[in-house]
Amino acid sequence: MSGPDGSFDDDPQLRDRLRAADPAASLAPADSDRVARLLEATMSNTDHETTGTPGTAGKPTTRRPLTWVAAAAAALVVGGVAFAATTGGDDEETPTAGGGSDAPAVTTLAAPAAQDARCMVPNAAVLADQEVAFLGTVEELGDDMVLLSVEEQYAGAEADEVRVESPAEQMELLVGAVDFRDGEQYLVSATDGEVTVCGFSGPATGELQSLYAEAFGG
Amino acid sequence: MDEAERRARFEAMAPGLVEPLRRYLARRTDPATADDVLSETLLVCWRRLDEVPDEPLPWAYAVARHALANAERSARRQRRVAAKVATLDPPARMTTDPTGGQDPAGDVPLDEALAALRPAEAELLRLWAWEQLGPSEIATVLDLTPNAVSIRLHRARQKLREELRKIEAAAGHEGSRGRSRS
Repeated sequence: MSGPDGSFDDDPQLRDRLRAADPAASLAPADSDRVARLLEATMSNTDHETTGTPGTAGKPTTRRPLTWVAAAAAALVVGGVAFAATTGGDDEETPTAGGGSDAPAVTTLAAPAAQDARCMVPNAAVLADQEVAFLGTVEELGDDMVLLSVEEQYAGAEADEVRVESPAEQMELLVGAVDFRDGEQYLVSATDGEVTVCGFSGPATGELQSLYAEAFGG
Repeated sequence: MDEAERRARFEAMAPGLVEPLRRYLARRTDPATADDVLSETLLVCWRRLDEVPDEPLPWAYAVARHALANAERSARRQRRVAAKVATLDPPARMTTDPTGGQDPAGDVPLDEALAALRPAEAELLRLWAWEQLGPSEIATVLDLTPNAVSIRLHRARQKLREELRKIEAAAGHEGSRGRSRS
């Protein structure tokens, strides 16, 4: 389907060279019976979206309710429910709408309230009970916000990013306790939406790595 | 549209989408993911039939593009979950070569030149040369304006030519790394 636009054929030589390298050039056409079955299976799904979506054609922006459920689960208040759902893998037929899905899943946490409890010695059993635990890198460090990109998630709803938001005063305490620095890697755990300090969250080094490995590594 | 009309419209439209979508996906991911994303893309077209424009293919490519991004994101997550906490290094990046290096007669300088471009530029060139879309169709797939597509496509072609020149000049000096196919 060549467009009428002249720029399409700008540099036909380059295009031909690209076309010669087309990895789908050797792809055999699909078996027509198989295609017919696929289309029939598609049409047997009766859960249509009938609401007209404003917006331009080809810009599939509607979020299906399922996507919202997943987003809500990610927005932590969490009981670890979404975990099994996202790792199930046997649910291929569940469609997600095309659009709006480039947005990263973000978990929001808060700094703990001022130290109202004495610290216990960090141990793997308590760590393993944390509702959220992940390895992440500090992407942004603000007065009232720390943004981490998640590299590995050990507990809690899967997220691409975790935002810790708190009033500046509390945040200062947290940043001091965990020693958050821009660009560094941290192991962070949280329960009830609050980052767990007292040696349960900190730079991803030596002892803390071992503790996380013991709690989640098995 | 009642159910019979829906079916009639889908049956008229969908067979023409399957082959281009299969090719689109074969160029960009592994066969198993391609199958999954194809089913999902068709399902979105079926469910949102009211929104599918008269020229459905670019719209369907856009759906496939999002579905593929989703599939790849969840694959990354599953690898992340599966990884033992003790291996604290970030997981190895997936190769961006959809042929998985199974193409010994491939145009090596071209692959290198494409890899040297920004991913968005390389994707523009693929949509132009492989899917053979015009600027307004590419605009639909990528959610850009046709004008922006024309400008970026022009720039991307220039950059690809420059990269090819550089790579082939270097290969000429070495005398050992030319195109494997003339």
